Amino acid sequence: MSSPSPNVVLVTGGTGLVGQAIKHVIETEPEGSRFGKQPGEKWIFASSKEGDLRDPAQTRALYEKYQPTHVIHLAALVGGLFKNMKYKMTFLRDNLLINDNVLEAAHEKNTQKVISCLSTCVFPDKVEYPLDETKIHTGPPHQSNFGYAHAKRLVDVQNHAYKEQYGHNFTSAIPTNVFGPHDNFDLEDSHVIPGLIHKCYLAKKNGTPFIVAGTGKPLRQFIFSYDLAKLFIWMLREYDDVEPVILSVGEDEEVSIKEVADAIVKAVDFKGDYTFDTTRADGQFRKPASNKKLLTLMGGFEFTPFPEALDLTVKWFVENYDKARTGAAGKA
Amino acid sequence: MQPLNPKGRQQSHLYLIYEVCIAFPSSLVVVLKSHYYRSKMSSPNVVLVTGGTGLVGQAIKHVIETESEGSRFGKQPGEKWIFASSKEGDLRDPAQTRALYEKYQPTHVIHLAALVGGLFKNMKYKMTFLRDNLLINDNVLEAAHEKNTQKVISCLSTCVFPDKVEYPLDETKIHTGPPHQSNFGYAHAKRLVDVQNHAYKEQYGHNFTSAIPTNVFGPHDNFDLEDSHVIPGLIHKCYLAKKNGTPFIVAGTGKPLRQFIFSYDLAKLFIWMLREYDDVEPVILSVGEDEEVSIKEVADAIVKAVDFKGDYTFDTTRADGQFRKPASNKKLLTLMGGFEFTPFPEALDLTVKWFVENYDKARTGAAGKA
Repeated sequence: MSSPSPNVVLVTGGTGLVGQAIKHVIETEPEGSRFGKQPGEKWIFASSKEGDLRDPAQTRALYEKYQPTHVIHLAALVGGLFKNMKYKMTFLRDNLLINDNVLEAAHEKNTQKVISCLSTCVFPDKVEYPLDETKIHTGPPHQSNFGYAHAKRLVDVQNHAYKEQYGHNFTSAIPTNVFGPHDNFDLEDSHVIPGLIHKCYLAKKNGTPFIVAGTGKPLRQFIFSYDLAKLFIWMLREYDDVEPVILSVGEDEEVSIKEVADAIVKAVDFKGDYTFDTTRADGQFRKPASNKKLLTLMGGFEFTPFPEALDLTVKWFVENYDKARTGAAGKA
Repeated sequence: MQPLNPKGRQQSHLYLIYEVCIAFPSSLVVVLKSHYYRSKMSSPNVVLVTGGTGLVGQAIKHVIETESEGSRFGKQPGEKWIFASSKEGDLRDPAQTRALYEKYQPTHVIHLAALVGGLFKNMKYKMTFLRDNLLINDNVLEAAHEKNTQKVISCLSTCVFPDKVEYPLDETKIHTGPPHQSNFGYAHAKRLVDVQNHAYKEQYGHNFTSAIPTNVFGPHDNFDLEDSHVIPGLIHKCYLAKKNGTPFIVAGTGKPLRQFIFSYDLAKLFIWMLREYDDVEPVILSVGEDEEVSIKEVADAIVKAVDFKGDYTFDTTRADGQFRKPASNKKLLTLMGGFEFTPFPEALDLTVKWFVENYDKARTGAAGKA
């Protein structure tokens, strides 16, 4: 049945970190392979320029234009700690609107499948580690991403409700910390890896010290965006349950912030002063998430070794500095 | 305080105050205070009650119309109250919601409107119950934000608390776990109101808060046999049993305990919140844990009030609900300094009398009109 009508896959947030990674994988994996395009399949990587998903009419117009059979829904309002705390209502409401518009349009058009994107950061603040797919709603999220977290959690609620009332195949993925090319490297707003890459790059350029906040001891699981992209494609092809899946490296693959910084220093080839400012606070020591469900369902997966992935990301950043999202401070 | 009317007396009035205060600085505080009270009284409240024709809305209307003006639970002089129904505007539609605010220019909103239903409907239409309530709540709060409404009190329910929780329920436990599946959509939408209130408060400083009633009963309830809550359902059943000369059979053992709040009492508590409560955190509005009654006590009181003389039994083969779901009203009583709830038998009697007298107008559903 799928041969005469090939899939049309719409990726919202298609110009972002994960969207561009999916684009890269679709364009480089052999056609018909496990993570490759299917013959005749069409992929659209939509950005907000094509339509503001906070507006129901513009969202419907996007669906009308492309008639997607499948949607990978990555678009969201995201930001760093400062913005999340200052604009709690905006982060809550804009994300609620985007998600409701995307899912409701999919409902109206009877789209075959929608995979939305949650995050390990929306889990409860007080929780027993490791995180797993059953713990999303067992307590309130951390205040630091209050609005974003509540809106994302509601997607899982919406998926279940759409499934039970209408039988829709709407599900969600829960990535852990993602990094890779096309990230947001803005010094104010970025996550830890792109932030440190940018800082180290500027330190080398300006001949100043590279100082990392904290002791470097906290551990985190990081997933390379190209690996995450493959996992999204796997979900698209082979996963049809409403329950979310955590997409992450294993708990035994945690790396410390110091290991991250060391790898960045090496990849940037930074020779200057490299220290840790231990007067600055560390984040939580560990927030491990289990990828047992993923590996059991997939039958295993080869993640790109961390130093290799980091090296690739740094090389991309250095080569694309002028085009990268470096924010105001970056263009110095 | 109301903004200055550029054409009106208020401006020259304030200019005079300005001149006086420059000359006599110590008079500034006195003048400002009296000016504040003057403008408070010159622009009386306009209170919009959404869901105004429902169980709780009609109870608030009753209290406002019967309590003495200016008393603790009464209307304030010059105050205007609007009890809006869905006929005036479908609150799932942002444009109709804004039109309602434009029409009435409310200074305060008591937001009771919601899509509600019994167990069967909640389970069958999870998405509708979730989405319609999300839309209603977002429209009401966002319109209040745009119009800078002074205060909004929304309505949650003890039924939206986590399924697995340590009793008694209190205001800190709303988000500590997922709700029961039986009201999945409704519960998630209602919980989000508390999230929205906090976000509006932190980003914009709005005074949006919420009340958490326990099981409400009273006149103007939904007495539909399929959809209703336990008290109106039993009242209707008993009424029909008397009318048709058939047995009155109550499902279960009658042993489970519940806290019930009479709608007229709840109405007074809403008015108290309107006048005296300005915190973002919700308040549970309920009788005390020591005021729990068993389903058997409820059925006995109904049989008495209906004056039912026929066969009255319990079908113990039918499942009981949860044995107890107590909620604490400590916060409420501490803040209010005490409250006299209407004794349960008296409140039930009033409700039954209302139902019998208003049977033709009451919401009895399809089965009722037999």
